[in-house]
Amino acid sequence: MKRFPLHIALGFWAIVTAFPLLWAVTSSVKSDTEILSSPWTVPERPRWENFGRAWNEASIGQYFLNSVIVVGGALFLTMLLGGIAAYTLARYRFPGNRFVYYLFVTSQFFPTFLALVPLFFTVEQMGLLGTKLGLILVYATFATPFTIFFLHAFFRTLPSAIAEAAFIDGCTHWGVFFRVMLPMARPGLVSVAIFNFLGLWNQYLLPLVLNPDPENYVLAQGLAALSTSQGYQSDWSGLFAGLTIAMLPVLLAYVCFQRYIQAGATAGAVK
Amino acid sequence: MSSHEISRRSMLRAAAVLGLSVPTLAACVTAGGNAGQQSQGGDKSSTNPFGVKADAPLEVVVFKGAYGDDYVIAAEAVYKKQFGGSVIDHKGIQKVGDTLRPRFVAGNPPDVVNNTGAGRLDIAALTQSQQLENLDKLLDSPSWDDPNVKVRDTLLPGVIEDGTYDGSFVRFNYAYTAWGLWYSKPLFEKNGWMWPQTWPEMLELCEDIKKTGVAPWTYQGKFPEYMTDPLLVMAVHGGGMDLLKAIDNLQPNAWRHESVKAAAEAIAELSGKGYLMPGSEALSHTEAQAAWCQGKAAIIPSGSWLEAEQKSVTPAGFDMVMGAVPSLSSSSKLKTNAIHAASSEAYLVPSQGKNVQGGLEFLRMLFSRNAMKDFAKAVGTLPSVKGATEGITMSPALSSVAEAVKKAGDDTINYRHRIWYPTLTKAVDDAVAELVTRRITPAEWVDRVQKAADDLAKDTSIKKYERK
Amino acid sequence: MSVLTRPVERAAAPAPPAPSQRRRLNRGYGFVIGALAPALVLHLIFIVSPYAQAFYLSLTDWNGVAGKANFVGFDNFARLAGDSLFLDAIKNNLLLLLLMPAATIGIGLFLATMIQRGGANGRSGVKGARFYEIVFFFPQMLSVAIVAVLWGFAYNPNNGLINGVLRAIGLDGLARSWLAEPGLALFAVMAVMIWSGVGFYMVLFSAAIDAIPKEIFEAALIDGSTGWTTFRRITLPLLRDNVQVAFVYLGMVALDAFALVQIMTVGPGGPDGSTEVMGLSLYRTAFEYGKFGYASAMGVALFFGTLVFALVALRGNKNRTELA
Repeated sequence: MKRFPLHIALGFWAIVTAFPLLWAVTSSVKSDTEILSSPWTVPERPRWENFGRAWNEASIGQYFLNSVIVVGGALFLTMLLGGIAAYTLARYRFPGNRFVYYLFVTSQFFPTFLALVPLFFTVEQMGLLGTKLGLILVYATFATPFTIFFLHAFFRTLPSAIAEAAFIDGCTHWGVFFRVMLPMARPGLVSVAIFNFLGLWNQYLLPLVLNPDPENYVLAQGLAALSTSQGYQSDWSGLFAGLTIAMLPVLLAYVCFQRYIQAGATAGAVK
Repeated sequence: MSSHEISRRSMLRAAAVLGLSVPTLAACVTAGGNAGQQSQGGDKSSTNPFGVKADAPLEVVVFKGAYGDDYVIAAEAVYKKQFGGSVIDHKGIQKVGDTLRPRFVAGNPPDVVNNTGAGRLDIAALTQSQQLENLDKLLDSPSWDDPNVKVRDTLLPGVIEDGTYDGSFVRFNYAYTAWGLWYSKPLFEKNGWMWPQTWPEMLELCEDIKKTGVAPWTYQGKFPEYMTDPLLVMAVHGGGMDLLKAIDNLQPNAWRHESVKAAAEAIAELSGKGYLMPGSEALSHTEAQAAWCQGKAAIIPSGSWLEAEQKSVTPAGFDMVMGAVPSLSSSSKLKTNAIHAASSEAYLVPSQGKNVQGGLEFLRMLFSRNAMKDFAKAVGTLPSVKGATEGITMSPALSSVAEAVKKAGDDTINYRHRIWYPTLTKAVDDAVAELVTRRITPAEWVDRVQKAADDLAKDTSIKKYERK
Repeated sequence: MSVLTRPVERAAAPAPPAPSQRRRLNRGYGFVIGALAPALVLHLIFIVSPYAQAFYLSLTDWNGVAGKANFVGFDNFARLAGDSLFLDAIKNNLLLLLLMPAATIGIGLFLATMIQRGGANGRSGVKGARFYEIVFFFPQMLSVAIVAVLWGFAYNPNNGLINGVLRAIGLDGLARSWLAEPGLALFAVMAVMIWSGVGFYMVLFSAAIDAIPKEIFEAALIDGSTGWTTFRRITLPLLRDNVQVAFVYLGMVALDAFALVQIMTVGPGGPDGSTEVMGLSLYRTAFEYGKFGYASAMGVALFFGTLVFALVALRGNKNRTELA
């Protein structure tokens, strides 16, 4: 019982953390009137139809799909381009290697806000404003520096013996990368992919500026627009259902794969 | 941290060096070019005042938003009937600006544009670079319905002013929005409450409402501009159109007019007497309006879009209607029914379009009474010509708006400074939020707003406009 | 850093037998170019060029109209110095920078120590440690935009969660219009930042404490150290690097704060500028007022703010490393 105060402290923070989330999930099965009267009202009956309404009428389904396409596309692109660039920079000697490496990795430390205005016009002039392709390219480009930074270190630690053997067996440079080095780098790839996925899935600023067309909204952006934009019809329970749709899959995936995900999410800070 | 890692510090140092040295590398986003050509016009006549060439193709690009584009397509049918040989290229799109900006830059814009919605074109900027046709000739041409009446004389008050940039009329607005104070008609009838004409009557009414346990007012505290509106309307009620002009033209001490201060005092009084629903100052528009629809408050300021916005949460039989903002005193310079109204849904004719004459003629048809009636019926919104809603069935909300616009007549208040000077607008709204929560006094409010206006007037980097 | 000069492969890596030495060399460079070009081209277009242009634009009065950017020298920066709203923003960002990272790190360290060293004998982890870690980490999984929407509702004065809890436990007197009172709004925003950040840093610190050899703690226990002394004398010094990294990362979050403020607050940025942050000023100036030159100047100011902060935060590291 000596540990009791300790559990009070830990338990308190667990409640502080989880309670708002539980509240949102509970509110998602209430009616508008129940939500507006008091946070403690228990729903008379669970209103699952809120989810249908959120998914269809409030376009959460569309936003979810947009997010999947954009984040999926960007993740694939950044892993491919970032992975191969990191490998090349880590294991090939050529003039300018160090310059190119710094050119990539230093940009992580620049605030996105600084680039925002010219980036907007660059994307606009390329005719990519408000397109999924534009968002995919920008997302991928913004995720690449960290990908390179992280994987660069990883590729350096891999032994060269197998690669050399592969070269002698007649493997091309590409072959060595895809067939030998990439499989060996798998743990690093998983971590950085999780890190990138979380970062991109949760983006708000870039889509806010580069993705003005409501039809192409990504999930976070769409939910924020539903709660702040004027002129939309108000639908409280639908909004909470939307929040739940945005939160639950991610949290469930987290609970299932927590070790990987914690490792991936903290990848940036433990380097 | 493993030893072969590059340290954060050295990376940051490199970042700084890069940041300072690369500007010369930059390709420039500010560049642009111009080119274009136009078709020659045909012969002019009384039925073809602009001399449209019958076989010239016409390209119409409209924002397809809440109002749809069926009314435009209907007008295009009329145009095709008139000019048999013409082919019309119709596009209903979103994010008009993103689609058309490059075409303006390339000198290849369409002939008619409805520039509305998120991501629209910046009309002031287009006017400055002489990209938009001056529509004065359209205003002076005979109206489609009656050749003896000029287009100019068919319009509701303010439409021409709304469309005038730098002295030239370039933007022709199709829809008409009115602002006022909203209440549930049955609720008022049940309690025997009459809509007040003057502010003292409003305060009496609030006292009565409060007795029933309902908050007399609520407002969209998260967006304080909703409360700025009744304040400005009351100020102009007292000071007349001269005051409005003085404020819009940033004249020295315009905000120090006694009726501005009186209006600020009236607004502060609402909270001083406890007539505002507690917590309103932190509510978003949805939250405040939902509370109002639930009967927790009786009156809320808003514009004529409110009915549509509240559609899904309005209880049956709520029957919201709009009342005019009461005048502060009986010595008001304007009619007691004066309201704030403005037009929207901007139609433009680009100067570099290939068929400018056709664009003008098309707008003459689009702004006819029949086309407007179709629009009002289909979308439940007031169009910008007079009498367009006569003889059609309307919701209580829309008919109260139509009624209010009609009653106000020429005493329609439309302040321009809020469109011209967004920084002043923000300063005013921020100060209004402080005024309503009584963190500043009306006198302090006047000082703050006057200072913001003076600062703006002195700021040479901001282009100034003048209201004639 | 030295490893960069000691690469594992060379451009002329061992290759298939047939081709000549020269050919192999070319193939190596061909691969390098092919491998780097796509990422590099995207990087130059969407990152290097925009960042570079931002510096140039900050010296112009550009309002978005093609071909009309006039060079105005440092006028925009002079104007910034007199822009009371932007000065409010700087003040608020600094206040966030001063309090938020410290509070987050403090709570995170406390919870991590509790979890790692709170076992029955003060040596091992507490029961249910894994459960706590999972729950604490939840907010890290959510988009900051979603966190903002959620807390915007939670702060609603009439039917929100916070006042609901206060009223339920009889503290009606403490119920407030959290986001509408100038003295409270920024702290309300800060609380959300702490709420969402603590779990992440707790996990980070927890892993670091776990990596400290158990013998060190054993020795301290034998010496009769109390929990607090152990923490101050052993845990904290050994976690210094982690704390510093956390401070840099949290500092960058504090200098941003855009999404929370833009979605949650009155105005946004209000009431009366009390939650204005630099990012919000920049966003509004650019995308609502169309003053892109002036907005770029704000971006440059934000950049130098971030740079100074990072250099100061990392300077400490250098001194200590040299001492060690």
